[in-house]
Amino acid sequence: MKIRLNNTKPAGRFVRPVGLVLVLLAGMGVLSGCASLGVKPWERDQMAKRSMRPVTHPIVAGIDAHIEYSKEGSTGGQSASGGGCGCN
Amino acid sequence: MQLKHKSQGRLAGVLGAMTASLLAAGAGAQTGGEDTPIKTNPPVQAQDQGASQAYESGPVDRETYSDEGLTRLDGAVLVYQEDGGRVQAIEPVLGVTFNGRDGEALSLHFTADVLTGASPFGATPWRDSQTFVAGVKAGDEGSTGASGNTVTTPGNNGINIATTTVEPDTLPLAGGFHDNRYVLDIAYSVPWGKDSLVSIGGGGSFETDYTAIYGNVGYSHDFNQKNTTFSVSGNFEFDTSKPGIGNPTPFSEMSADLKNGNRSKTTIGGLVGVTQVMSRNWLAQINATISYSSGYQTDPYRIISVVDHISGGPTRYLYESRPEKRTRTSMYFGNKISHGDLVTSLSIRGYHDDWGINSITLKASEYIPLGRDIYIEPGIRYYSQSAADFFRYYLLDNQALPEFASPDSRLDKFSAITPSLMVGYKIGKTGEIYARFSHYKPTGKNNQVNAPGYLAGRDLFSGATSNSFIVGYSYAFR
Repeated sequence: MKIRLNNTKPAGRFVRPVGLVLVLLAGMGVLSGCASLGVKPWERDQMAKRSMRPVTHPIVAGIDAHIEYSKEGSTGGQSASGGGCGCN
Repeated sequence: MQLKHKSQGRLAGVLGAMTASLLAAGAGAQTGGEDTPIKTNPPVQAQDQGASQAYESGPVDRETYSDEGLTRLDGAVLVYQEDGGRVQAIEPVLGVTFNGRDGEALSLHFTADVLTGASPFGATPWRDSQTFVAGVKAGDEGSTGASGNTVTTPGNNGINIATTTVEPDTLPLAGGFHDNRYVLDIAYSVPWGKDSLVSIGGGGSFETDYTAIYGNVGYSHDFNQKNTTFSVSGNFEFDTSKPGIGNPTPFSEMSADLKNGNRSKTTIGGLVGVTQVMSRNWLAQINATISYSSGYQTDPYRIISVVDHISGGPTRYLYESRPEKRTRTSMYFGNKISHGDLVTSLSIRGYHDDWGINSITLKASEYIPLGRDIYIEPGIRYYSQSAADFFRYYLLDNQALPEFASPDSRLDKFSAITPSLMVGYKIGKTGEIYARFSHYKPTGKNNQVNAPGYLAGRDLFSGATSNSFIVGYSYAFR
């Protein structure tokens, strides 16, 4: 029978909080430290498109996030907030 | 109604409307938004014209116009249905965003949520019929309704008795509930100096037996010729659980008795992120989030079966028990890549919490214009999570009670695949009507070959397959 009698579960397969911070800092360093990244103002034609925005339909994204929150154990990602309902 | 299940179909928009309003108001440009350009300047051509000038004199480039100086109205309706006659929901969302000419924005969103149906409440199936007795506050019968398998009879002290009979070999469902929820959000953002934006927002979610009040603040700053945006935000939430007959003591026997008073939960969280223009065609975003919750995090309606260790048959039903603290972290990496008129969206999210859940989420979609006015966007999402340390489908009658145990499918080990298709039609200079269909199909991964007797080899995963259909309209005017 698959019952854990104590919290002897192996360490997380993905990232721990400290790991998250380190990865983030590394990512920020890579992103912001490379001045060569990016484009000149006259090269922003693609970036200016509405379809290039990270979230093109906020209401749809919000509904999706809440449906997922009602079914899954995870939150976060593009937003720090979550919940707000009796979905305990 | 005590048997009313609060989890599986709890659709609505606190997060949705909150995200929408935050994004729409430009709060935390790290997440972008329909009304908030992602800190990427409009192209030189548009800059020279001035977006608002272009709006007045036309023609407007419908791909690149700005909402500055415009008021935007958003409306959408979600129709949600789970297979097997479980939860159904209808959720209208209305929003308005007032955009100043200088980047200032104020948004309001209202969401209503109407849920009906039936959902699992934790009990395991059995070869014989099972009977569950729960309390329901007198006067609430109308909101819970007596479905075919539930009968409500008068009790004492204003608490009536709801008796639910479940057929043999059937996953027990609590049927016939009807619940409404209302959400109001407000968000405001204002430029701070030349390259920064400050935002503040808040709102509340209100239903008969649960309320949530929340607020957030954010700051973002552009540098590297506006190719890089650094963002940081924090949020606070205070929830109150107030079922009609009270919150049960964890691991107490399921009953119709009056239970404990209101319980609350406090959550604080934060996000740190960087959005980077990688090249002319590639925008990347990295976010890290953390949140900490303290207080009542148990589902007051959910029980767990204690079963005979030989036959697997139920011997008693106990209210579930969860830890009162939870720390959740996530890491998100998103990308938007254009190829001519097409745009590819790719993202990955890793998640970990100290309840023992680890998950990974992969998403991909392709924006495809079809002619001048119509576009489609097919997408696919994959999700996989491990089980919480204290997840149990059942407890055994010959073993001591653990400290915590919950049979909630959201704490189970499973994966889910979600294909979707959006179709949009652009109307006029700034309008759009769209429809989006998605199909969520979860699959349990918890092998129960060693379960006792009747339960051995059964698929006890109780997650539901569901369909969602959203139709919406968005329009901006001066």
